[in-house]
Amino acid sequence: MLQKSKLVLRDGTSLDDLIMRDSNEVSLRVMTDEELYKLEMEKIFAKTWLLLGHESEIPEIGDFIVRDMAEDNVIVARGPDGDVHVSLNVCPHRGMRVCLGEAGNKRVHQCIYHGWAFRPNGDFIGAPVEREKMHGNDVDKKTLGLKKARVHLYGGLIFATWDVDGPSFDEFLGDSKYYMDQLFCRTDSGLELLGPPQRFVLPCNWKVPGEQSGSDGFHTLTLHRSLMEGGVMGGTAESIYDQAPGMYGVDISCKQGHSLRCLEAEKTFKMFADVPFEGKSTRERLELLTPPGITKEMIPELFKNLSEDQVNQLATIPPQVGGLFPNVLIAFIFAPRTDGGSSGALTLHTYMPKGPDRVEFTNYIFAEKDAPEQMKRDMLQNSIWNTGTSGVIEQDDADVWPVIMKNARGAVSKGVTLKYKALHGHERPEGWVGEGLLYPGFTKDDTQWNWWLAYYDLMDAV
Amino acid sequence: MTWKTKSTATPDATTILRGLVSKKRVPLGSEIYNRILETLYDEAAALDERRIDDWIAMIAQDIIYQAPIRLTRTGPNRDRDVMRTMFHFDENYDSLMMRSGRLQKSAWAEDPPSRCRRFVTNVRIGECETPGEYEVVSYLFLERSRGDSPDNERTTAERRDIWRDVDGEYKLARREIIVDQSVLGMSNFAVFL
Repeated sequence: MLQKSKLVLRDGTSLDDLIMRDSNEVSLRVMTDEELYKLEMEKIFAKTWLLLGHESEIPEIGDFIVRDMAEDNVIVARGPDGDVHVSLNVCPHRGMRVCLGEAGNKRVHQCIYHGWAFRPNGDFIGAPVEREKMHGNDVDKKTLGLKKARVHLYGGLIFATWDVDGPSFDEFLGDSKYYMDQLFCRTDSGLELLGPPQRFVLPCNWKVPGEQSGSDGFHTLTLHRSLMEGGVMGGTAESIYDQAPGMYGVDISCKQGHSLRCLEAEKTFKMFADVPFEGKSTRERLELLTPPGITKEMIPELFKNLSEDQVNQLATIPPQVGGLFPNVLIAFIFAPRTDGGSSGALTLHTYMPKGPDRVEFTNYIFAEKDAPEQMKRDMLQNSIWNTGTSGVIEQDDADVWPVIMKNARGAVSKGVTLKYKALHGHERPEGWVGEGLLYPGFTKDDTQWNWWLAYYDLMDAV
Repeated sequence: MTWKTKSTATPDATTILRGLVSKKRVPLGSEIYNRILETLYDEAAALDERRIDDWIAMIAQDIIYQAPIRLTRTGPNRDRDVMRTMFHFDENYDSLMMRSGRLQKSAWAEDPPSRCRRFVTNVRIGECETPGEYEVVSYLFLERSRGDSPDNERTTAERRDIWRDVDGEYKLARREIIVDQSVLGMSNFAVFL
C-alpha cells in the first residue's frame, strides 16, 4: 500500500489524484495548474541542482554570464579566487537587476538604479556617498550581499542549487554518475561550449518537454520519421515500424529521475557500414567507431579518465540520449554526415520554466576541447542541423509540445491521463557492470515513469 | 568568416554588427537596384507560396547561409552583440537541400504548413569587389500563422546578402540573418528567413 501524499491543492485535489502511482498515469491537468506550478518552483526549482552553463564560457577572472534558475535570474561569475560563483541578480536595496547584460567581464557589478555595488562572488562592497551610509546606519555590510547559491562543477558544467544543506551533487546524480562520467568526464581537457547557447521560448509547461527528457525513445519512430526517410537512422520509410531502428538497447535510470539510453554502437554503425564487433577488443572497437566527439588520438585519454568497464561500455553500448531531472536533455549522438565531415553532435538542453504556460528552451552545443578546429566546426553544424531552434529533429518536438499544452486547458481534456503502462521492469542484463535501474530490450515507459516518481518525491517532501 | 571566439564573456571584433560595407552604392531606382529588388520580392513570394524548388533554384552552390545569435551586452562592448560563434542557421548548399528535401516528407513542423508573409524593406545595395556581385542589405519582417492560433508568431531581422549575376539572373551566394531577439519568440525556425 502506497502512503498517501500530504500535498493537497486548494480544491481538494491531492498529488495522488494527479500522479497515479497505482495505475501509472498522470493527469494532463499537471501541465496547466497554477497552484501546482508555484509549488514546483519552491519544491523543485528552488531546491534541486540546476544546469547553468559551462566554465569554458567564463575563463578569466571577472568573466560573467547571466542565466536563469527557473524565474530567478542569477549572475554566474569567476571571482578573483578563480572559483565560479552563482548569486541572485536582484539588488537587495530596491530589487533591480544588478547585471543587465548577458555576458561580460567586471570586477565590480554596480546596480544602475542607486549604485549599490557587489563583487563577482556577490559580496556587498558599498553604496555611493559612503559617508552618508546609504546602506543603513547600523547594518553590517556582510549581510547585504547578493543571495548566494551553492555551486558544483561537474566535467566543467556549472550546476547550482539554493538548497545549501541539501544533497551533494554526487548524491543528486546517484547511480547515474557511472554512466554520466562516460560523457562528461572522459578526456583530459574536457568539453568546451562552442558559443553562447541558442535560446527560444515555447508556449507550453516545462514538464511537457521535461517528461520527454526522461528518455522517451519511442516517439522517435513516428515524430522523427523524417530521420528514417532520410536514411539517417538506417532502414527505409516503409520498414520503420518493422525494423524499429534505434529502439533496442539498455535504458538506465535511477530514483533521482535521471536516465540514459544506451544503444549498441555496432547496430548504430550498421546503419552506415557493416563492421561487426564480434571478437574485437575494447580498443579495436573504439578505433572502428569512436564515440561521438572523440578522435582516435583521444582514445588513450578514455582509458586514463574512466575505468576499464566504463570504457568498454562506451566502446560497445554507449549512452547517447537521456536527461537529468528536472529539466536537462542530453543528446550525445553519432549524427553522421554524408560529405565526409566529422560526425557527432554533443548537446545539452535546459527547459527553464517561465510561468505555467511558457518554457525557455536553451540549447548548449559542445565539442571536446582538444578536438581539431575543423571537427569542432563540423560538430557545431551537426548540432545546429539536428537540434535546437532550426534542427530538423527538434523543430518537430517544438511543434508538438505547444499543442499538447493547448489540449491541457480543456475542462474535459485536462482530465485525460498520460499513460506509462508499457513497463519492462528492472532487469540486469548478463555481464552488465554499472548500477541503477536497468531496462534492456525495446525502449519502454520505465525511465519516464521514474521521472514522474522523482517529481512526486520532491513535490511530496515537506 | 572567422570562427574563434569561444568564451561567452569576452567578445572580439567579429561580434560587431557591420552594416553595408561596400563604398560603391548602387543607387535607388537604378536598373540594377530595381532588378535586385524584384529578385528579393520573387524570393519572398517563392518562400511564402512554399515553392521550395523555385527558391533552391535561386541559390548559388557555394552559398553560406547563417543566422548568428544575438547577446545583450552593456558598457564598452554594448555593440558587440552578434555572436558569430553560434548560430540558429549554419548552412551550406547541401544542408539547405537536406532541409528542403525533408519538407517534402514527414516534416511535422511544417505539415500542416505555416502561412507565412515575408515583408522585405529598407533595401540598400552596393557593388562588391568581384564584378557582378552585389552586397544587398534588407530588413525582413516575418509573420507566421500556425494552425488555428489567432496569434501570429513573428520575427524581425536584417539580412546581409551577396547576390551574384549569373547569366542575367541573380543567385544568392551569401546570407547573414541578424535576428533582433536574443531569446527567440518563435517556436522554431522550420521556415527560411
